[in-house]
Amino acid sequence: MTNWFLVAFVLLISLWYLSFLATRLDRLHHRVETSWANLDVLLQKRAAVALEIARSDIADPASSLLLTGAAYQARDADIKSRSAAESGLSGALGLLLEDSEHLSTAADNALLTELSALTDKIRVAIALHTDAVSRTQMVRSKFIVKLFRLAGTAPLPITYEFESDVL
Amino acid sequence: MLARSLKIGIVCPYSWDTPGGVQNHIRDLAEFLITAGHQVSVLAPAIDEENLPDYVVNAGKPISIPYNGAVARVLFGPVAFARVRQWISNGEFDLLHLHEPAIPSISLLACWAADGPMVGTFHAAAKRQKIIFAIGPILEPAIEKLSARIAVSEAARLTLTDHLDTDAVVIPNGIYASRYKDGKPQTKWQGNTIGFIGRFEEPRKGLSVLLDALPVIARFAPDVKVFVAGPGDSTEVEKSIDPQLRHRFTFLGKISEQDKADFMSSVSIYVAPNTGGESFGIILAEALAAGACVVASDIPAFDDLLGHGEFGALFKSEDPTDLAKVIIDLLRDEKKRTELASAGRLRGQSFDWNVVAQQIFSVYEMSIVGGEKVKLASDTRSWNRFLSKDGK
Repeated sequence: MTNWFLVAFVLLISLWYLSFLATRLDRLHHRVETSWANLDVLLQKRAAVALEIARSDIADPASSLLLTGAAYQARDADIKSRSAAESGLSGALGLLLEDSEHLSTAADNALLTELSALTDKIRVAIALHTDAVSRTQMVRSKFIVKLFRLAGTAPLPITYEFESDVL
Repeated sequence: MLARSLKIGIVCPYSWDTPGGVQNHIRDLAEFLITAGHQVSVLAPAIDEENLPDYVVNAGKPISIPYNGAVARVLFGPVAFARVRQWISNGEFDLLHLHEPAIPSISLLACWAADGPMVGTFHAAAKRQKIIFAIGPILEPAIEKLSARIAVSEAARLTLTDHLDTDAVVIPNGIYASRYKDGKPQTKWQGNTIGFIGRFEEPRKGLSVLLDALPVIARFAPDVKVFVAGPGDSTEVEKSIDPQLRHRFTFLGKISEQDKADFMSSVSIYVAPNTGGESFGIILAEALAAGACVVASDIPAFDDLLGHGEFGALFKSEDPTDLAKVIIDLLRDEKKRTELASAGRLRGQSFDWNVVAQQIFSVYEMSIVGGEKVKLASDTRSWNRFLSKDGK
């Protein structure tokens, strides 16, 4: 009799644990999605600002061409090539800003302030997103999660490699 | 700042009535956010229920436990848990900001109980402890729920990555830099003077290192004077000072905020010989903002805050000889002192609440992107939904 009781108890505990793991994983997936949405919005904004910079007097024709190309690429990239495209844009912006100290007009300065505020936010957003992704990947690599397919049909999040030092 | 006003719940793990860095930080942040037009409720343990500011909700009487080499006044247990849950469910918060969610107190309970946008700030810096193997698995699922983690310094961030294998955004503690900027130099503290502020009875504040360094300093700078400010009983310390040097020391007791600003802008050198246990060093940020020439031990937090010596001089921690050398060099070189002080003054401005709160706020903004409110985790669990439907 007690044996059956014990078996039922163990079963109950393991069911609870599985449900706990599933909730945990669900929450992590949610975190990945929101942090990505966040980052995506900020990156879109940055591409828009980059385009504006390209059209302004800050950029000479050559760097304007480079910047416009990079900004469009960053906008159109699909999720897999997004990292590379964004790094390209960072690089183009970096090249331009390296020697932009001669700036004169207030409008140009406003653009650059906006860009640097965005850059700060993007840096934080990247940190949040990469953390969510690596956490999720870690929990999903657990044997028990794989065995019971607790992740369901959610796709495995992709690590977003972003050269933050270029920012 | 955000266009719409947010309802923010902040959880303070330590007793509200005991002085401490975390409590001060929360008080200033809460008041800053309220002034900016947000609704803030702080949940904190408190001994004295009468004198709480109206934005603080009492969570119960704290329990004193030994933690990390000091006595921490924290709160946990079933009753506290019930109160935390009640606070969360009544608050309808847009966001929870939990401080030190990795120590056994109500922040951890709140992290466990809540579901939704949560930000955690980690203050402590400690060496890697073996015990983490045992408590890690308990903490991890809870810490993982935080949508964003903030560490107050590079040292605190390293502690977090070491212990819980998760990264954080570094946002420093805030100070009201403008209060310190206008400190007026007072002649009574000027001259060849060294200033020290802190609870000098605590060994980790390192006053003894300064005491050991003084004989050498006095030999090279015969008119040197030391002013020690801070709460505590000075008789014991004074007894331990060499009688020949005793007249060089003045104990000022606890001084007011205004005096503190004047004090730091008057003394030739402000010294922070702390031997450890410091994760940020708010007093150094204040001293920098006041335009003091700072000498500090090279513990990671101070090294980081002083930009590896760019904004203040560093000496080898717990080494009186090195401290004496650094101080003597600086006392003799006024140009160097002014240079360090003016570099430091700029650095101090970057810790102003206007800057820091803005940074904290962008993290808030990013955490509430989903647009949900904070709920009790138990309300969203599937079997509970099932049970409550069944029961009614």
